[in-house]
Amino acid sequence: MALSSFSFLAFLAIVVLAYYVVPKKVQWVVLLIASYAFYLFSGIEHVVYIIGTTLITYGAGRWMQKIRDKGQAAIDAAGDSLTKDQKREAKKAAAKRIHVIQVLTVLFNLCVLAYFKYLGFFVENINRVFALFHWDASIPFVNVLAPLGLSYYTFNSIGYLIDVGRGKIAAEKNVGKFALFVSFFPSIIQGPLFRYGDVGNQLKSPHKFEYNNLKFGAQLMLWGFFKKLVIADRVAAIARTVFAAGFSNYTGSHIFFGVLAYSFQIYCDFGGGIDITRGAAQMLGIDLPVNFEQPFFATSMGDFWRRWHMSLGAWMREFVFYPIMLSKPVTAVSKSFRKRFGSHAGKIVPSVAAPLVVFFLIGIWHGLSWRYIINGLYNALLISSSVALQPLYNKLAEKLHINTQAFSFRVFQMIRTFGLLCISRIIVKAPSIRDALKMIKALFTSWDLDFIFGLDGTIFTYGVGEKEMFILFIAILVLIVVGVLRESGMKMRETIAKQNILYRWALVLGLLVFVLVFGIYGPEYDASAFIYGQF
Amino acid sequence: MEKILEILKSIRSDIDFENETKLIDDGILDSFDIVSIVAELCDAYDITITAEDMEPENFNSVQAMLALVERIMDEA
Repeated sequence: MALSSFSFLAFLAIVVLAYYVVPKKVQWVVLLIASYAFYLFSGIEHVVYIIGTTLITYGAGRWMQKIRDKGQAAIDAAGDSLTKDQKREAKKAAAKRIHVIQVLTVLFNLCVLAYFKYLGFFVENINRVFALFHWDASIPFVNVLAPLGLSYYTFNSIGYLIDVGRGKIAAEKNVGKFALFVSFFPSIIQGPLFRYGDVGNQLKSPHKFEYNNLKFGAQLMLWGFFKKLVIADRVAAIARTVFAAGFSNYTGSHIFFGVLAYSFQIYCDFGGGIDITRGAAQMLGIDLPVNFEQPFFATSMGDFWRRWHMSLGAWMREFVFYPIMLSKPVTAVSKSFRKRFGSHAGKIVPSVAAPLVVFFLIGIWHGLSWRYIINGLYNALLISSSVALQPLYNKLAEKLHINTQAFSFRVFQMIRTFGLLCISRIIVKAPSIRDALKMIKALFTSWDLDFIFGLDGTIFTYGVGEKEMFILFIAILVLIVVGVLRESGMKMRETIAKQNILYRWALVLGLLVFVLVFGIYGPEYDASAFIYGQF
Repeated sequence: MEKILEILKSIRSDIDFENETKLIDDGILDSFDIVSIVAELCDAYDITITAEDMEPENFNSVQAMLALVERIMDEA
């Protein structure tokens, strides 16, 4: 069931109705049933995996909690008969056992993820090696489709295990409530990722019916539909044409056109889907984390990653970045560098190592192929270098008398960042690495202004004709205006709610009609999978 | 308090640490800043701050950071 389909809306309506009709104590049960019903729609044969992950993670959580509770009870019971040191030793021993369970279960989850995501890559390449040596052997491989939401519910489960292992939250005692955390239906497709202490608790809690939740949730969903159906699915044709294998017009303006289209597509597809997800959850009184904050207003790659796929960034920060940066080996190296070469040098080693690991992981999270690995390393390089070269940049700005607080400088930074992102998009979307390099080179060389300004008409032959292009242009204008308003702090739905009734209804109904009339419902529609649903 | 303020100012001289209470929540400090701060605090107070301590509430203000440092020193 695609998030942007009418069947999803019908499904959601039934769930919302049931949710507010049943007694509050069993509201979470409605969500659990709905989540599994939704999951079954996507393929009954895959349910066994999510159930497996749920049970094993649940069990590990309860085991860790038992060790912690028993250990604490023993220390408390012993009271004064134990010295402070002995108490600390006992705590340490318990922590060690907990850590072992945590690591093993996390590894188990990662293995399941790796099996589905990476087995194909390994088998393919092993077979290539066999072919290279002219061996007759080859490993047969049937491409297995990953269970719905595998990456997302696996990462959420790993977060849960680490949070329980650290003692940050208590393990969930009720297996049904835990199963809901793992399978919650709006976010199972493509996130956002969330923590048990936050959304997990919300899911278990009773929720009173509040009209504002329904209203704001529906409005957010409408905005998501607008982004997905009007912009993303329309602009997809251009991106598909330019990045198709065999596309030969590698001139700068054509490539840029394609990259621009692809940037809008990926943002409106993923962002739109997240809006629909968060809107649906809001109708149920659940507040899911924000995943995007006007990413194209970013002034640096670091800033970009604080605005794009924010829940993945937060997960990486919490469970990869900080543990690496604060680990004993890294702090020791950083300290010795600091002592020998000064405080900036001390910063460099961790600021190169940690982003390298984080972005390599983000890269391969998308899939094990060279484009994702290279893209990950590309991002890592940009981030590490910006930290390492910061003093140089500061000096440069001083020497050239550049006011880094000025608006014009900010515009320069946004354009520069967008340029760096264009390269990243090409790496990911080009048919091959060689093509990617050709395209990047073309960006800097051949430019055809007649094309870009539509003067020779060819711009309308990329899958989006004149009329469609006009609609796209209006839609993107609206998107940009809303982006600017949000960037300046305006909360759109609250602001609209404050306007007088005629204006409010006109705006919302206007958007609804626009989506219904100009949404792409053609043959693409039934297959309208979300790009990030495949990850 | 003075010691911590000095450390913070040496890492980000452009922030009004005396008055800010949402250093993390408002994204004023980024993750690299935080790691630098943690490294300096560990050095200055001879303590170990681990990944488990990396909660927004521990770093949102100077007062919060002081409380964190004191708590860790107490538990040692």
